[in-house]
Amino acid sequence: MADAFVVALILVVGGAGAITALLALLHRLSFRIAYRNVKRGRWRTVLLILGLLVGTTIVASSLVIGDTVNSVNVHFTYQSIGYTTEAIYDQSLNRGYLGFNYSIYTALAARSSGDPQIAGIAPEIVGTVAAFDRSTGLPQSGLNLIGVNANQSRQLGPFVADDGTHLAGPGPAQLYLDDQAASDLGAHVGDPVLLFGASSAPAIVAAIVQDDTRGGFLFGGNAFVDLAVAQQIENLSGQVNFLAVTNAGALAETSQLTGPVSATLNDSLKAIGAPSGLSVHQWLQDNLATAESAGSSLSTLFLVLGLFSIVAGGMLIVGIFVMLAEERKGEMGMLRAIGLKRRELVLIFYFEGFLYSAGSALAGTVLGVGVGYGLVYAFSIFFATSQVSGAAILDSFTVTSASLVVAYVVGFLLTLATVAIASGRASRLNIVRAIRNVPEPPPQLRVYTFLAALGAGLAAVGALLYWRTYAGTTDLSEPLVAGGLLILGVALVGARFVANRIVFTAAGLALLIWTGVPALHHLLLGSGHGGMIFAFFVEGVWMVLGAILVYIFNADLVVAGVTRSLGSRPAGVSVARIGLSYPSRRPFRTAINLAIFSMVVFTIVGVASFGSSIQANVDQLVESQSGGYTFFGVSQSPIPELPGLVANNSTLAPLFADVVPLLFGSGEVQFPGAPSGYQDNVLSAPTGVPTSQNFYDTNAYNFSSTLNGWTTSEVWSELQGHPEYAVVDGAYASGGFANFGGHHPTLTVGTKVALSNTDTHAISNLTVIGLLSESTINGIWVNPTTARGLGYENETAFLLRTTAGTDPTVAAQRAKIAFFAEGLLLFDFATILKTSIQSTEAIVSLLEIYVTLGLAVGIAAIGIVALRAVVERRGEIGMLRAEGFTQRMILKVFLLEYSYVALLGIGIGTSLAILLTYNAAQNSGGFLTFSVPVANVAVIVLAAYALTIAAVIGPSIKAARLPPAEAVRYSE
Amino acid sequence: MADEVVVHAQDVWKVYGSGEAQVAALKGISVDIRRGEMVAIMGPSGCGKTTLLNCFSGLDDITKGVVTLEGVDIHRMSDGKKSNYRAMRTGFVFQSYNLLPVLDAVENVEMPLLISGVAAKEARARATQILQEMELGDRLHHRPSELSGGQQQRVSLARALVTRPAIVWADEPTGNLDAAGSQQVTELLRSLNRQYRQSIVVVTHDPEVALSCDRTLRMRDGKFDS
Repeated sequence: MADAFVVALILVVGGAGAITALLALLHRLSFRIAYRNVKRGRWRTVLLILGLLVGTTIVASSLVIGDTVNSVNVHFTYQSIGYTTEAIYDQSLNRGYLGFNYSIYTALAARSSGDPQIAGIAPEIVGTVAAFDRSTGLPQSGLNLIGVNANQSRQLGPFVADDGTHLAGPGPAQLYLDDQAASDLGAHVGDPVLLFGASSAPAIVAAIVQDDTRGGFLFGGNAFVDLAVAQQIENLSGQVNFLAVTNAGALAETSQLTGPVSATLNDSLKAIGAPSGLSVHQWLQDNLATAESAGSSLSTLFLVLGLFSIVAGGMLIVGIFVMLAEERKGEMGMLRAIGLKRRELVLIFYFEGFLYSAGSALAGTVLGVGVGYGLVYAFSIFFATSQVSGAAILDSFTVTSASLVVAYVVGFLLTLATVAIASGRASRLNIVRAIRNVPEPPPQLRVYTFLAALGAGLAAVGALLYWRTYAGTTDLSEPLVAGGLLILGVALVGARFVANRIVFTAAGLALLIWTGVPALHHLLLGSGHGGMIFAFFVEGVWMVLGAILVYIFNADLVVAGVTRSLGSRPAGVSVARIGLSYPSRRPFRTAINLAIFSMVVFTIVGVASFGSSIQANVDQLVESQSGGYTFFGVSQSPIPELPGLVANNSTLAPLFADVVPLLFGSGEVQFPGAPSGYQDNVLSAPTGVPTSQNFYDTNAYNFSSTLNGWTTSEVWSELQGHPEYAVVDGAYASGGFANFGGHHPTLTVGTKVALSNTDTHAISNLTVIGLLSESTINGIWVNPTTARGLGYENETAFLLRTTAGTDPTVAAQRAKIAFFAEGLLLFDFATILKTSIQSTEAIVSLLEIYVTLGLAVGIAAIGIVALRAVVERRGEIGMLRAEGFTQRMILKVFLLEYSYVALLGIGIGTSLAILLTYNAAQNSGGFLTFSVPVANVAVIVLAAYALTIAAVIGPSIKAARLPPAEAVRYSE
Repeated sequence: MADEVVVHAQDVWKVYGSGEAQVAALKGISVDIRRGEMVAIMGPSGCGKTTLLNCFSGLDDITKGVVTLEGVDIHRMSDGKKSNYRAMRTGFVFQSYNLLPVLDAVENVEMPLLISGVAAKEARARATQILQEMELGDRLHHRPSELSGGQQQRVSLARALVTRPAIVWADEPTGNLDAAGSQQVTELLRSLNRQYRQSIVVVTHDPEVALSCDRTLRMRDGKFDS
């Protein structure tokens, strides 16, 4: 499918190339002029290519990131799953892998022995154990236990010891630990280790094996034992709970046979009378799909943020061609006068654009691969782990031919399509006005009539889209687009009857309000829409457009104010008046440049502020997400009376102030709008317990929304007193922090939900009375009577708070040692949240670098305008010099003009980005604390401004140095 | 044949704007220009000289009246046909030369021939020949920026005449030239007019140019002086 897509793209470009070549042959004169135009000014061509290639660079680099992340993930998947192409197991009761009789394996193996597509089937026990290394005295809970016969290494591959020797597998009473498990236990070869599952077993560490295709099974943290030992630990005598199926062929090819092998095995399972829950899972294929999806998600994130630069690049192309058309107006008029048809003029622009597109797409693709490598290099520094090293990430740098083709074709077609549209506009001219270089008159009424018709169409599309999406989608971007189209459509219709300034100022303000006031979204769109990454893009585009409409149609007022503020010295006033009048005289050009600058700066400042808001939120996040507790604990087996056990343990008692036991399990939540069978955790804290165990009185969780406006303590009090009430975590809240994929069902307080225990099939109908701000512990909190009624009897989860001054690491270590037989795992809220924020921060840092690429568009845009302005204004410069302007004053005029445009664009982009970040923080459900990285923003603003001045200083000096006599005489 | 009317204009009006802002640039102009005739149009600035030239040549539309070129109503032609007619039967010379800066002299001159569909080789030969006739044989491959104003205007003249058009429209052809250049261009126009018997309509302020023409039409306020 992907190959067919690539071939189709190549055919599209090939077709475009062939048609263009044919047109060039048929219209050689037009092609010759176009070719000469390309060679006309080298510096300008460089700026043009620079501006045009940004779009392709962004597409290419985002695809390279996707390819590489995909490659890392695929590599990691093969490393973790190895030769287990399909897995046969039964998880129908949501309690791990259920045991089944060994005879099912022997029957299945016998039926499959002649199948050429199946290399082998390995019977295994897969479970979770706690381990205690007697030599080091260190415990570790939550290790994967894998029991398999040593002879299965012929099928599943050998274990590889750290010294490189190949091992068949552990014998009786032997234990192989992978690198991760050995590190957790501090274990060495020869250490005696106690393994605790349903029962315990001693073993000697016989080898420490690498986290490769065999040792890294199940993503690491593994204890490998002989099958018989595992059966004993899991109390599964005569049973196994997992069959690893290996397909025929090399590792990378095994998943191709998954379809037919799965069908055959499922048939065989039925034929041999296996339990109904036992089925074939396409393990490798599913994990590879997940891996590819992760790569694709990251690629999309980069691409969507890069869209701002792509749009800015598109505007640059339109701006360039409009400017080229202005510059060549006289020539074009002459060509038309001597008989050249309009379509030939279009062709001249088209050929020129084709050459630019082909060249810039090629350069952009190459540069994109380079940028991609730079980002992967940064990834290798930020995201290296014990399992995937930085070197491995860098080694995984991948550029697929498909990505190269897609990047080139997308970049090429994007540029060419914009060029084609711009060419059509550029070639529409009045011959007489063109030859005599007379300015175009204001649009006539029929132009407004045409625009009104177009506006009516836009408004209709917007209204239809809004009607279709306002309540039927979770993606906020769609109704946002619809609202924007509606506003613009109405404005275009209004412009037919009312003055432009009034209509378009109103439209600009409406766009700003529509995108900048989230309360409006809640009011009009309800709470069923989440903030998706595309919404950020749409909001950015509408906001920038709104701000620019407001400015452009009121520029005279702004310029008058700025001129007044620049002082009253006659020379200064003259310079200010002239410098600031140019942007107003060319509103279209100014609007394009402002939009480019605003959009690029908006993205850069937006990403920086977003990162800063995450960072500023760390302490508050830990506070709000932890409820004031230090740990969330889960145990493999229930620990009744944990608070009492801790209190009576002389080691633990001084370390823990509060221990809250929780009834804990998995349930299915149903309510209108939730996907069928939505699984979530069920949590319940007991009532009538001492203060140190009383969740309701001691937790510090906050609610984002409560029924009847109840206070936090009232909600907890109501939950304690009413079995029909429930509280849900923050992920159920609407309008929260943008998640990059996947939809968590959303609800509001007052919603009736049906909660069922899939094991007992008991159901309870509950009313949600509170939406928590936290979402670190996912789930639905219920009254203990309800929990017990549903069958959640066991206390297997805990919230623990350490005493003041206690080191959480020490407290966790001691608690794990004390309860390692029950498999107690403690998760430190602060560490979890800070670690997760660190990776988000790293991605944000990379995004900051990445979106800064867009500045190239802004610089190119303003540089090209400056080059053009020097030529265009020679006569005026001559006149000014004749009237007494010094060279210095001319230089000031130019610098003031470009500084004004650049700073205005930077100001619009910066303020809108800060506004959007503020809105995001207000609606993030506690994930963001609004913060502006003042130093970062200052650097961004200064860098953008400095680069602008660097781009225009050359042309400005050239303008200032023009000999007055020559300038006065000059005509284009 | 010599008395054949090439340009016939009858009650031609050109009105700009609408309502109270209407301005009539041409007010019922009627005139005939014969084959081989060289006519000068003179008058004060803003009297409508250039508008007349643009409307007669088909570069601009008229509000009312009829303009026929070689018996064909130019304003009833489609844009494509008008372009073809301009390419094959007319030539233009403008005050600011309007040469393509990216093409050299011979390429600029051969352009109307190529637009008319003349084979590239023949177009190059004819362009070279006419430039040599205009004493620009040593400037064939110079770009406009490498030529003087007079030389550029001669290239522009060559471009206008290379297709052997029936009518040449010249708008202030000497307006940007010094006295010597002006005289050279005027002489050239006259000699080519005599040699090829093309009708030439020259809008000018220059009495020397007018003197070299067969007839001078004086305009004032959108009309010919009676």
